[in-house]
Amino acid sequence: MIDLAFDHVSKKYRIYREAAETNGGPAALRKVKRLFSGWQDFWALRDVSFEVERGEALGIIGQNGAGKSTILKLLYNITTPSQGEIRINGRLAALIEVASGFHPELTGRENVYLNGALLGMKRREISAKLDSIVDFAGVAAFIDTPVKRYSSGMYLRLGFAIAAHLDPDILLLDEVLAVGDADFQAKCIARINQLRNGGTTIVFVSHNLSAVESLCDRVFLLRQGEIYKSGSARQVISEYEKMLTTITASAPSRLTAGSGSPEAEIVRVSLLNSEGVKTTMFPAGDPVRVEVEYLAHTALQDVAIEVYFYSVFGNLHSHFSTSTNGARLDLEPGPGAIEFFCPELGLEVAAFNVEACVKHRASAFGEHIDHRQVAVMNIGKGKPIHGLFHLAHTWKRKEGS
Amino acid sequence: MGEIIQEFSARRRLRTKFNMPGTLETTPAAINDDKLKFARQANRRISIIRPPAFSLRNLRGDLVKLAQYRDLLFTLSIHRIKVRYKQSVLGIFWAILQPLSMMLVFTFIFSLIARMPSEGAPYAIFAYTALLPWNYFSSAVANATNSLVSHSQFVTKVYFPREILPITYVVSALFDFIVAATLLVGLMVYYHVRPTVNAFYVVPIMLILTCFALAMSFLLSATQVRIRDVGVAVPLLLQLWMFATPVIYPLAAVPARLRSIYMLNPMVGVIENFRQVILRGAAPDLRSLTMSAVVSLILLVAAYSYFKRVEATMADVI
Repeated sequence: MIDLAFDHVSKKYRIYREAAETNGGPAALRKVKRLFSGWQDFWALRDVSFEVERGEALGIIGQNGAGKSTILKLLYNITTPSQGEIRINGRLAALIEVASGFHPELTGRENVYLNGALLGMKRREISAKLDSIVDFAGVAAFIDTPVKRYSSGMYLRLGFAIAAHLDPDILLLDEVLAVGDADFQAKCIARINQLRNGGTTIVFVSHNLSAVESLCDRVFLLRQGEIYKSGSARQVISEYEKMLTTITASAPSRLTAGSGSPEAEIVRVSLLNSEGVKTTMFPAGDPVRVEVEYLAHTALQDVAIEVYFYSVFGNLHSHFSTSTNGARLDLEPGPGAIEFFCPELGLEVAAFNVEACVKHRASAFGEHIDHRQVAVMNIGKGKPIHGLFHLAHTWKRKEGS
Repeated sequence: MGEIIQEFSARRRLRTKFNMPGTLETTPAAINDDKLKFARQANRRISIIRPPAFSLRNLRGDLVKLAQYRDLLFTLSIHRIKVRYKQSVLGIFWAILQPLSMMLVFTFIFSLIARMPSEGAPYAIFAYTALLPWNYFSSAVANATNSLVSHSQFVTKVYFPREILPITYVVSALFDFIVAATLLVGLMVYYHVRPTVNAFYVVPIMLILTCFALAMSFLLSATQVRIRDVGVAVPLLLQLWMFATPVIYPLAAVPARLRSIYMLNPMVGVIENFRQVILRGAAPDLRSLTMSAVVSLILLVAAYSYFKRVEATMADVI
C-alpha cells in the first residue's frame, strides 16, 4: 500500500536579481535599468519520482542545496510543484520548526490550542490531550503565563510536546533532533521510535548519517535536485561518503596560518577502513588507516606529521604522530605520503573533526609549517567504547578464591 | 465527521479541467487502474498536490478543505479578537470609539460649520447609520491586506488554507461592528427613531457586504505578497472611497448627470440600502440590492480563485 508518491515532480524557483552594477550612462538611465532587474530560473528539483510504502521509514540525504528541504516543503504543502503530482494517503504531520506558531502574548495553554489547531488537531482532541501535553513538556507550573516569559528550553519542549501528540499516518522529520539538550533529544527519539513501531510512515531528512542509518529502512541520495542513488541505508550512505571524500583538504584551519608560504603543504588526507575503502564512517573500535599526502617545497629535516581528532566542541581527543615511535622523519622536496595505521580506533560514537599538520618535531604544540582541517569523521556503533579515553586492556577469569 | 474519500477518477478530471493560459501543467496522466486502486484501498483521506490550475472541481476541493480547518478558523478568530484588546485598558470600547469619534467630528463640521442636507433626520444619526457598515468594510479590508505578510512565519512553516488569515480579520471586524451597533441602538432610542419590520433586511445587506469585504480582502492580501505597494495604497484608497460613497452626504445630493457613473461603485447600493432600512424604515431598493449581490458574488468567486492561484507559490516569495 502506497502512502506517499512523487510523480515526476519538478520545482522551479525564480530568482530575481537586482541589477547590481549598472555603470556608465546617465544617472536616469541607470535608475531605469535597475527597475528591470533580471531573473533566473533555478530548478531545485528535476523530475523526481518515488513511492513510499505504508510503515516504511525513508531517509533523504544529500549535500546542502541538493533539494532535501524542497521535498519536505512540497510534502507539507507549503509550496506546490511546478510540474508533476504528489499523492499523499493519510494524515501528514511534520516535526519541523516545532515552536513556530507561538504567539508571545498568549499563555501556554492558549498557545497549545493555537498551535494544535495550526497543526490540524480538532479542538476536542486538544482538550482531551492537554494534560498529557503539559506533562510531557514539564511546564505545568507555567502553563498559564504568557509564553514570552518562557525560557528557550521550555518553548521548545512545549512546541515539541504538542507536535508529539499528533497521531499522524505520515511523519516528516527535519533536523529537529539537532537542537535542544540531550534530555530533549532522547525524548524526541523515544517518541519517534514509538510512532515507528506503531506503523507510522516516516520521511527523515538529515545530515546526521548515523541517525539516518539507525532509523531508516530505505534511503535515497539527492544530488542537485535529482535522485542520485536509492537503496538500503548502508549502501546509499557509503555511496554518499565516497562522494564526500573526493573533497580534498579544505581551507587552512582556524589555528595559526603559519608565516608566509609554507615550506611543505598537506595536499590530501584520506581515511581508509579495514577493507581499504575510502570512507568517513567507521564503526567504533575498527582498524583505520590514515593516508596523508604532502608536497614539500624544500628539503626538511626532523619534522613530524600529525593527525588530530577534535570533538565537535573543540576538544582534542586524540592524535596520531610520526614522532611517537621516536623515528626521525626527513622530507625530500616533492610529493610524498605517510600512512598511519591504528588497529583499534578508540574514539566513542560521535563526529570528529580531523585535522592534519606538518611541523618541526621540536616546535611546541600549535606551531606548525602547515595545518589543515581535513574532514569530518563519523564514528558509528561498533565495539562498545565509551568515555574520553579508551585504554586498551585485556581480561581473564581469575582462578581460585 | 467521517473521513472524506476523494474518489480519484482520472477520466473525470481530464474532461472538466480547464486551464488558465500559461499554466504549467502535467501531460495528462495515463489513465490506469493503479490510481483507482490507490484511492479505494485506503479509507484515509487522500490529498493530491499539483501545480495550480483553475477548475470548478478544484474550487470545490478548496472549500471542502476550508471546512476541514474550521476549528483553526474559529480559534484564530477568537485569538485575533482577544489579542486586539488584551493589554489595553479601554478594551472593548475601542470598537465603539472609532465610528463614534468620526460621527462626532462630522456632526460638528456638517451641522455647525457647513450645513449638509440630511433628509430630515438629525445629522448625527444620519452619519452614524452609514459610518457603521462603512467602518466594518474599511477596517476589515485594511487589516486583511497585510494579514499574509505579517504572518509570514506561518505561511512558510505550517500548512493550512491561507485564506483563513484574511477571513479572521473580517470576522474580527464583524465583531467590532456588532459592538458598535449597540451605540446605533442607543442613538435610535435617543432620537426616537422607530425601527420597522424592514430593519430585518439588515441581515441580507450585511451578508452582501461581507461577501464584498471578503472578495476585496482576498484580492488585496494575495497581491500584497508580491507587490508591497498595495499595503501602502489601501488606506489612501479607502479614504477616497469613503468620499465616493454616500456616507456623510445623502445619495440625493449627487447631481443627476453624475449618478449613473456614481452608481458603479458597489458600496453605494449597500450603504444606501442600509440607511434606508434602518433610518427611514422603508423597504430597500431591490434592484440595486440584487445588482450589488450579483457583483459581490462574482467578485468573491474570482478573488478566491485568484487567491488560491497565488497561494501555491506564496511561500516562495513572501
